[in-house]
Amino acid sequence: MANENNRAVNEFNQQVKPVSLWADAWKRLQKNRMALAGLWITVLFAIVGIAAPVLPIADYQKVETDFINLPPSLKPAGEVALSEASLNIDRIQSRIVEGRNDLLPALEQAKASYDKLKSDLSVKSTANNVYIFGTDYLGRDMLSRTIYGGRISMLIGLIGTITAVLIGVIYGAVSGYLGGRIDNLMMRIVDIMYGLPYMLIVIILMAMFMKEGSSSIFILFIAIALVSWLTQARVVRGQIMSLKNSEFVEAARSMGASTARIIFRHLLPNTLGVIIIFATLSIPSFIMNESFLSFLGLGVSAPLASWGSLVKEGADRMESFPWQLLVPATAMTVFLFAMNFLGDGLRDALDPQSKNRA
Amino acid sequence: MAKFIIRRFVSLIPTMFVIITLSFFLIRIAPGGPFSGEKNMPEQVLANMQKKYHMDEPLMNQYLRYFGDVLKGDFGPSYRYKESTVNELIAGAFPVSIALGSMALALSVIFGISVGIISALRQNRWQDYTAMSVAVIGISVPLFVIGPILQLVFSMKLGWLPIAWGSRRFSEVLWGLLPTVTLSLPFFAYIARLSRASILEVLRADYVRTARAKGLSESVVVAKHVLKGALLPVVSYLGPAFAGIITGSLVVESTFAIPGIGRVFVESALNRDYTLIMAEVIIFSLLLVVMNFLVDIVYGFLDPRIAYK
Amino acid sequence: MTEEVILQVKDLKTYFHTDEGIVKAVDGVSFDLHKGETLGIVGESGSGKSVTNLSIINMIPNPPGRIAGGEVLFGGQDLVKLPIGELRKIRGNKISMIFQDPMTSLNPFLRISTQMIETIVLHQGLDKKAAKAKAIEMLKLAGIPAPEKRIDQYPHQFSGGMRQRVMIAMSLSCNPEILIADEPTSALDVTIQAQILDIIRDLTARLGTAVILITHSLGVVAGMCDTLCVMYAGRIVERGETAEVFGEPKHPYTQGLIKSVPRLDKASGDRLFSIRGQPPNVIDLPDCCPFYPRCDKAMDVCKRKYPATKDTGNRHAVACWLYTEAK
Repeated sequence: MANENNRAVNEFNQQVKPVSLWADAWKRLQKNRMALAGLWITVLFAIVGIAAPVLPIADYQKVETDFINLPPSLKPAGEVALSEASLNIDRIQSRIVEGRNDLLPALEQAKASYDKLKSDLSVKSTANNVYIFGTDYLGRDMLSRTIYGGRISMLIGLIGTITAVLIGVIYGAVSGYLGGRIDNLMMRIVDIMYGLPYMLIVIILMAMFMKEGSSSIFILFIAIALVSWLTQARVVRGQIMSLKNSEFVEAARSMGASTARIIFRHLLPNTLGVIIIFATLSIPSFIMNESFLSFLGLGVSAPLASWGSLVKEGADRMESFPWQLLVPATAMTVFLFAMNFLGDGLRDALDPQSKNRA
Repeated sequence: MAKFIIRRFVSLIPTMFVIITLSFFLIRIAPGGPFSGEKNMPEQVLANMQKKYHMDEPLMNQYLRYFGDVLKGDFGPSYRYKESTVNELIAGAFPVSIALGSMALALSVIFGISVGIISALRQNRWQDYTAMSVAVIGISVPLFVIGPILQLVFSMKLGWLPIAWGSRRFSEVLWGLLPTVTLSLPFFAYIARLSRASILEVLRADYVRTARAKGLSESVVVAKHVLKGALLPVVSYLGPAFAGIITGSLVVESTFAIPGIGRVFVESALNRDYTLIMAEVIIFSLLLVVMNFLVDIVYGFLDPRIAYK
Repeated sequence: MTEEVILQVKDLKTYFHTDEGIVKAVDGVSFDLHKGETLGIVGESGSGKSVTNLSIINMIPNPPGRIAGGEVLFGGQDLVKLPIGELRKIRGNKISMIFQDPMTSLNPFLRISTQMIETIVLHQGLDKKAAKAKAIEMLKLAGIPAPEKRIDQYPHQFSGGMRQRVMIAMSLSCNPEILIADEPTSALDVTIQAQILDIIRDLTARLGTAVILITHSLGVVAGMCDTLCVMYAGRIVERGETAEVFGEPKHPYTQGLIKSVPRLDKASGDRLFSIRGQPPNVIDLPDCCPFYPRCDKAMDVCKRKYPATKDTGNRHAVACWLYTEAK
């Protein structure tokens, strides 16, 4: 029956709204403020990352020897550099006053470089650049390095996840559906691989196959993806096994559907929920792993940057120039937070067992 | 029950086998490694290697020798440090890491479970929100970010705790505090979340409803009926947690300059000291495998559905 | 069944506050329970029968549910208003409840002895040894073989039917005045169902316990219950003694239910009867008889107002405009 607005109603004129699983999940997700915040932040980061080449930011590779280690500031770089240089002079002077006369030549040097800087800057066009987040030890803009670093990190997260999902889903679905001895064998393999300390293997692979100076991203992808599909496979297999014997599958089978058809058209769509949740939660995991490798010096190499390598550079210098650590660390942390909240929210939203919580 | 234990023990063996074999072949195919015939081989090491691995013999013999050596606990000469054997390099560092790792694990379990219980029982109130926010930080922020930041705050700016490991005995506790807490953070966070979720789920279980219908007070219901089942997943997690502690120790030892095998591993990876790397992998794997085995056994004892038939 | 009323439910209302609206799961339910009586509550899924019983001992999850009105008079007290500390003295002690799924109703991590002893120690103050002896005795009455040995086992070592017997023994161990059994056999095999029902009937008769039995099966009602209440959309539409209601069902819904039961003595080849239509969505139900869209005898007044309850004599009451003058 339909009422004036042509919406389905029952005999009592109560509106009958069909609610699909996804609509229901979306509704639930929207109520979770943290997850929504996570979603928008992730989208924001993604947009900034994709749009990076066209954004009005400095070139992330450009070395500016006059502007090294500048603190974050809204003033033009020239001014900041000069004030840093004069601060340096003051610092040396105060130590000399305390009795360190051996620093007198250093004082002369500092004053000379101050003067040189001043004259250089008057003709420099870049003196008006504003480095909101400061610069690193080569005078490169922290903002753009963080953005470009994010590009790489997010890309790694994405590609790694897609690879892990593809391999894991197919492996898990086949194993779960076929069951029996094939399943046993496939899962034993997973078990053994699970028992291997996987980060260690990744590190070894990186150490062995990375040539000095060349870009090792490709190897990075392979190394990480190689061992990350395991959990996905297990999760998918579990889901498939529990769905395998449900009635709708029996119905499909009784109508003559082939094995492949059953797997792809009936079982997998119902597994999409766990796949999505896992994928959302594994992106931050990949990013952390890559950052870890970069931190150890085995990840992306210069001139490319990733959040991990930026954090490493920052950590080495954090005593004097803390922003070099804090800026990329904060960016990465915020992104990982956002994705984790989003993943959690998705898990709550898609879990049909979740009862009505206040 | 005995069958269960034996079965678990038996499954250790293929894993270790794979690892030892893998390490044998990886050493041999690694570019720049001792067996690749490249020119940048330190002569002394080459001599040692040839003596030890009988490199003129057929591959199969070399493999069996290596296997036998490993089983006896002899990992051969170091590739980079020509004077020392791998065993020497590891022996001193091993206890340090064990101490660090086990303390971190203990901290994370004790605090994780406590916080998880409080959060679950005060769901959606301020205790829950604060605790879970801290937990999310622990999980999202990588160790190598947390470590330096904690160092920055507590050591450099506030001057409360010393920066790195030292050997001054009287302040040994303080030396170890920051790295231990750092290492335990991600696992504390995960355990807190895990126990909270598990308790919440068990609170909705039918058998808890039965307990309430029998007139038991809420504290008895929680202490007696809920906790035992709800904490089982935490026991299961100890296996992967231990693995995480191993990899975490790489970062924490490097950041805080602790002379443990984690730091040795990182340096050996950067130095391409292959024999050392491989030895460490075998040791780590063995630790992991044994730990997983123990966890399985403990779980079997705790879950009556496994313990009794 | 005696004349002494031990439980009076008066106009009980239990509502759930959900995002889609207020679900009036129980909307004005009244009945009396006498000492030793076995009362059946029959209805389809969603009719509110389980919620009614959970409301009696106030085990409604709050949020999102709450008892919105009415009284539950027991032992001189209104259970709705009783503070939780007092209520706990009654639960498991004077009023016990057993649930539908025996596989999940017992704690898998504790021995049966632990689970049974804790109730007895709590409510009857016996020491552990005496409590265990009592528990073993109850298990024996419930038909568990070798109870002295089996009491120390874990739930997973029992079959479904055995577990339900354990639940029955456990719930009766403090000799309650009322046993509420929420579909105790729905999750069991048909062959076991009869055994369990027999045990409930025998034990409660022996101990003098009154029973509220919730079920969707008229067959069970016929075999077990002295009186029955028929529930629909959160309200009781008809109640009375079993033989009376079965013999002369007054409400069209009851008539439909009875007609739906397949009979062996009908000629095969006849279509099975089922009441047309669906039970309503109880969110924001308008003020009308909720059964009218499915009722062959619906009149105009049925759409506009919920019918008053008419006592048609002989303890038989029905809520239907067919028997009451619309004002």
